[in-house]
Amino acid sequence: MKMIKYNYLKTLLIAVTSTLLISSCTKDQVKPQLQDGKSTIVNDLPGDVGKTINTGFRTFYFSFSTNAKVDSSQKKTSQWDIAFAKEYNSYVSINNGTNDASYGFGGTGKGSMVVVNKAYDQVTEAPADDVFTTSSITSAGWDSGSGDASGWYFYDLKTHLAIPVKNRTYVLRTADGKYAKLEMVSMYKGAPAVVTDLNWPAPYFTFRYYVQQDGSRNLSTKD
Amino acid sequence: MKYFLPLLVMLLHFNHIQAQSSSAQIQGTVTDDKGNAVAGAAVTVIQTGQGGATTEKGQYTINNVAAGAYHIRINAIGYHSIVVKATLKANEHLVLPIRVESDMNMLNEVNINTKKYNPDNLIDLQRTPMPSMVITRKQIEQMGSRRLDEVLKEQTGLAIVNDIGSGARAIGLQMQGFDSGYTMILIDGQPMTGRNSGNFDLSRITVANIERIEIIKGASSCLFGSDAMAGVVNIVTRQHVSQSQGMAGVRYGTFNTVDANLVGESPFANGKGSGYIAGNYYRTDGFNANPYLSEGKTAPPYTSYTLQGRAKYMLSTVNTLNFTGRFASRHSVNDKSYTGSPTKDKLDEDDLNGSAVLNTNLGRGLRIKSQYYLTRYSTGQNITDLTSNEIIPGNNFTQYLHRGEVQASKTWFNSLVVTSGIGTQYETMDNDAYQGGKHQQNSFFYSQGDWKVSDKVGMIGGFRVEHHSRYGSSLTPSFGINYQPVKMLVLKAAVATGFKTPDFRQLYLVFTNFAGGGYTVLGTEQFAAELKKLQDAGEISAVFPNASKVSKLKPERSVSYSAGFTLTPAPSFKIDVNGFYNNVHNFINTDQVASKKGGQQVFSYFNIDKAFLSGLDVGFSWIAAKGLTIAGGYQLLYAKDRGVIDSIKTGTGNYAKVYDPNLGADRRSKVSDYFGLTNRSRHMANIRFSYEYEPKGITGTFRVNYRGKYGFQESNRSNGFLDPYDTYVAGFFLLNASIQKILLNKHMAVQLTADNILNYRDMLMPGQPGRMILAGLNYRFF
Repeated sequence: MKMIKYNYLKTLLIAVTSTLLISSCTKDQVKPQLQDGKSTIVNDLPGDVGKTINTGFRTFYFSFSTNAKVDSSQKKTSQWDIAFAKEYNSYVSINNGTNDASYGFGGTGKGSMVVVNKAYDQVTEAPADDVFTTSSITSAGWDSGSGDASGWYFYDLKTHLAIPVKNRTYVLRTADGKYAKLEMVSMYKGAPAVVTDLNWPAPYFTFRYYVQQDGSRNLSTKD
Repeated sequence: MKYFLPLLVMLLHFNHIQAQSSSAQIQGTVTDDKGNAVAGAAVTVIQTGQGGATTEKGQYTINNVAAGAYHIRINAIGYHSIVVKATLKANEHLVLPIRVESDMNMLNEVNINTKKYNPDNLIDLQRTPMPSMVITRKQIEQMGSRRLDEVLKEQTGLAIVNDIGSGARAIGLQMQGFDSGYTMILIDGQPMTGRNSGNFDLSRITVANIERIEIIKGASSCLFGSDAMAGVVNIVTRQHVSQSQGMAGVRYGTFNTVDANLVGESPFANGKGSGYIAGNYYRTDGFNANPYLSEGKTAPPYTSYTLQGRAKYMLSTVNTLNFTGRFASRHSVNDKSYTGSPTKDKLDEDDLNGSAVLNTNLGRGLRIKSQYYLTRYSTGQNITDLTSNEIIPGNNFTQYLHRGEVQASKTWFNSLVVTSGIGTQYETMDNDAYQGGKHQQNSFFYSQGDWKVSDKVGMIGGFRVEHHSRYGSSLTPSFGINYQPVKMLVLKAAVATGFKTPDFRQLYLVFTNFAGGGYTVLGTEQFAAELKKLQDAGEISAVFPNASKVSKLKPERSVSYSAGFTLTPAPSFKIDVNGFYNNVHNFINTDQVASKKGGQQVFSYFNIDKAFLSGLDVGFSWIAAKGLTIAGGYQLLYAKDRGVIDSIKTGTGNYAKVYDPNLGADRRSKVSDYFGLTNRSRHMANIRFSYEYEPKGITGTFRVNYRGKYGFQESNRSNGFLDPYDTYVAGFFLLNASIQKILLNKHMAVQLTADNILNYRDMLMPGQPGRMILAGLNYRFF
């Protein structure tokens, strides 16, 4: 009787174990889909990698029309649309020749930026010119969390990791006056859905943008 | 003449026992695990055959025993038979109280091993007001676990948690929702040191040569002082050696994990002395849970050596000396790469614990323990960026703790045990992140009474007075009562207090994480000077009003309430239900005091928070069939910050609003939006099947552990608390199994273990390895 019970248990154990061994599972952290058929997606654009807060970060310039970095010698031209400056190159700034807060001050850029608290695909139209004129921001970086804050990331107080602000899109006027929208996705390499390492390589920027080439205010990226 | 023949036989076999004409006497009382007298127990001197039965009061007397070393067997119906050792001198009247374990409690893992006199602590950790549990050697062996974290994470209400914000190597034990910093880790009753931002990495401790693990859940500062706010984990190393033997064991499996053990033990000096020495070698390749890592691990690889031992020598029938020592060393290199950006994360740590204990048994229930304990821990951990060759400082310090303590315990009328202790401890810390060496000292006195008022009522109460060089005096009382109205039911209730003095880090830390965001943390003692330095350097954009409130930190305090019952409706079934409520105030937390120009925070420490950690703990055990035991546990937990709740209720302050991504706008937060503190699961459960088929020497276990969803960090928008739109770690099940067979007349054991059979992985749980299958072989010499 005992033997029977023992054999039964053994068989059961073997059966259960072998079933479990051939199955496996993981919990995947799913990244949001950025492709919409119209926008340009930039993955892991390296900033001044290897630098620390101690050493500072060299500002770099980026052009929407060439989808590439622009040499800093072109700083006073309309060749670039956004600059990545300050800590971790995380401050995204406009190219405006007349605004002394802009890296393009003294040049020919006509850039301006407005913050919109909407998801990227829901931003379908650029606001009127006076909204750009009265906009108080020339760059977007760390978000203080207060009501009128306009940054694109904040730090979690426990993990000390930078987290992108959800549903925040920037509507830009590019250096040559076209309308565009911009979403900053991540400053960490690979743009993971969740960063799990305090020393995850940064800054590597993932973002997407759409420039309306016909000069109109239509920014719809839906088909 | 009557015992001439047995004596002759004994002389032939035990030539160290000397026959002497003058004879001695052994007497004492046999009690059960609850302290009740056991009548009618047979007490026999194995070597001579002398003996008799105990009286109604459990007393026995054996006269005319020749001097020498003996084994005495105690048999009583309903109890495990046990053998104890005794050494008699000529004309001596040896008082030998004996405790037997009830056979009915086979269920209760706690009582499987016969309880012997504990040379390291006169207080039995299972006799304190707060609920306790014991993990026995047998249980650990059955599980096939190698390191302490593996054993503890399978226990009800305990979790091993990564502290992401303190770096990739910060991992610790969470107990009843308290962070690792609030649980005291003891080895043979003395505190172990060496924490990384409060986190005690339990994987540095091998479970080889651990006799048992005792766990108290609930504030235990009454006995153990500062830090024992959540509870205590006491690692009891081997205490009793009865014969010469050696053992070698090796395990090998997944991730090139090797766990090798070698132990030798022997009595010496005619049985007056005994000792053992054990070595352990462990290595693992580590495990990677992060798909973005092209090289390196999230559970880092390491190699560890441990040497531990104990020597015991009976100076006289009254005095016994005990020496214990442990040295452990760990080396770990984690070369990491995220398809580029390579770094080298290197750790070297050394851990030393040593104790000299004099145990004095003055008879008539009076015992004294005098002890000196020393522990030294040193660690060096840095990350090198291999592109720039810049070193990112991790955790670099050397910590010493010296402690002298005298403990005395007296038993009155077989029903009241009073144990008191007095001592002092001195601690030094030499940490690269602090300016200069730091030290602190405290002295303490404590006393606990364990009174069996009647057959139905028992009470345990105590207090501790501690005087700290910085924080002055504090008093921590505790009290517990249990009542057994009927045999199958025990009702229990207890209240206890806990405190935790601020640690060195909270006082002296000056740290800027240049690699991880550039935030700065300043200890309260360094705050004013360091903030001024930052301001002078023009780095500060705003100083918040609370900066003026940074001042001397006060110790954190808690009151733990616990109430529940143990029901044993049948000898084979037992259930424990216990509700707990921990009210914590002066909770030290970091808060932002200033912003740097780039938005990075400057933090300091405050006694700001009031938190509560409350819930229910259920455990059951059932002998379902001969050899088959099913045991399980469940913990319900609510761990919340009162400040958040108050702010949400009043609709003012930092937590009044929550961004609802569905609305695309902020809305007023509700109390129900608040999930609680990060890393805490509301539900945790486990079930364990253990099967033992004695005739074939086969044992097996199958365990399922569940951890419910818990908060990881904020996502969405910054509002300072976990709302439903933040990042959570999904609930998961871990399945573990082991099977063991004993061969060659119990000299050899082979074991196969499988941990995390389903190979469950989640990058949000960097420290949780995937499936591990190991095969092991143990061989006992002699």
